[in-house]
Amino acid sequence: MNIVLSRRFVLAFVVWTVMVLLSGCILPGGGYEYGGGDIGAAYYEPYGLDYGGWGPGYHVAPYRGGYHRPTSGGGHASARAYRPAPASHSVPSIPSQSRSGGSRSR
Amino acid sequence: MQSDRARHFLRQGLFAILLGVVCAVPVMAAPIQLPPIVEPASQEHHVGKLIFVELVTPDLAAAKRFYAGLFGWTFRDIQAGGTEYAEAFLGGRPIAGLIHKNLPASERRQPAWLSFFAVGDVDAAKRVALQNGAKVLFEPHNIPDRGREAVFADPQGAVFAVLASSSGDPPDVLAAPGDWIWASLITSDPDTDAAFYQSLFGYEVFELPASEGAQHLLLASHDYARASINSLPANRPNAHPYWLNYVRVEDTVNMTAKVVALGGRVLVEPWTDRHGGKVAVVADPSGAAFGLLEWRDSEGKEVPK
Repeated sequence: MNIVLSRRFVLAFVVWTVMVLLSGCILPGGGYEYGGGDIGAAYYEPYGLDYGGWGPGYHVAPYRGGYHRPTSGGGHASARAYRPAPASHSVPSIPSQSRSGGSRSR
Repeated sequence: MQSDRARHFLRQGLFAILLGVVCAVPVMAAPIQLPPIVEPASQEHHVGKLIFVELVTPDLAAAKRFYAGLFGWTFRDIQAGGTEYAEAFLGGRPIAGLIHKNLPASERRQPAWLSFFAVGDVDAAKRVALQNGAKVLFEPHNIPDRGREAVFADPQGAVFAVLASSSGDPPDVLAAPGDWIWASLITSDPDTDAAFYQSLFGYEVFELPASEGAQHLLLASHDYARASINSLPANRPNAHPYWLNYVRVEDTVNMTAKVVALGGRVLVEPWTDRHGGKVAVVADPSGAAFGLLEWRDSEGKEVPK
C-alpha cells in the first residue's frame, strides 16, 4: 500500500516537474520564428538580403557639422506622408563632443 | 532477493533523476541577468536614438573572435535557461549583445544585427507601431536590469527593436572608434517609412539631395542626426528592406582588409560619402552585415555641394 502511494506520489511529482519545465520554455512571441526565451530577441533575417547596388552618389552618412539647406528646397516637391522639418531648420549632424568632454544636456 | 535488489536500484535511480530535475528547475527558470546599458545609471533619455544592438549568430565563438580582432571588443559570457549570451564591451561600456542560436540550413534565414531604438514606453510604442502598419514580432517583455523591449517589422518589413532602458540612455557624445556611430534604413518606400518612424519616435525629417528617382531622408531628434532613410538602389528594386548599423572606424580601407583577414567579406567596397570619409558594407564570418563609417576627429566641416 505504502509502495503504491509512494509510486503515485513520485509519478505526480514527475508530471508536475515536467509541466513546470515546459511552462518555462514557452516564448511570449509564440507564433513567430523570433524569440530567444527570456533574453534579447533572437532572430534571423529572411535569407538573401541583398546589400549590393550602392556606389558613388549613394549617400548614407550624416553631414559633418550639419548642413544649411538652400531655401529653394529641392527634390520631391509632391505631397509627403511625413511632416518635413521647417525650412528654417538646418540639417543637424551627429554629436561631436568626445566622451571625456561630457555630454550636452538637452 | 534479486527482485528486491532491482527494486532498490530502481528506487535509487529514480530518486537521483528526481533530485537532478528538481535542482535544474530553478537554474532553467531563472531569468537571465544582463548588465544595464548605462553604468552608472543616468536620467538621460533620447527617444529615437540607436542605443543598443544585438547579433544572433549560429557560431558565438567565431563571432567573438572576429569582433575582438576587428574592433578590440571584450566579452563577458552569460548563460541562463540554456541560452548562451555574450555581452560585448568597448572601453568598459556595454555596446552590444551576441546570442547563440542554431540555424538549420533548412530555415533559409540569415544572421543579422538588430537595432534597438530608445523609447520611453514600449507598450505605447507598440500601440503606435500597430496603428501605423507595423507588425509585432516579439511582444513587449522585461529584461531584469536592462529594461523593457519589443521587436517590430515596419510597414515595409524592415525589422527593428525598441528598448526602454531602465538605466537611462547613453549620452549624446561622438562614438569612439569601434563603437556604433550611425544607422540607415534601406527601404522600398522612404516616404511612408519616414512617416511611420516620425509617428513612433517624433523625429524631425529632413529631405536631402539624392540621385534621380531616389529619396534620401535624414531623421533627427534633440537636434542630432539619428539615422538616414534611403531608397533601395535602383538596380535592386525588389530587395528586402533592412536597417544597417555602422561602426566608427578611422580608416575604412584598412578595416575592410582586416575584415577579410579575419574571415569576413566585403559586401560593398569603400566609397567616399558626403561627409568626406569612406563608407563600406561588410559581413562577419556568419554573414551578418554591418557598415564601416570613417569619421575622423581632425576632419574639418564638409562644404555642401
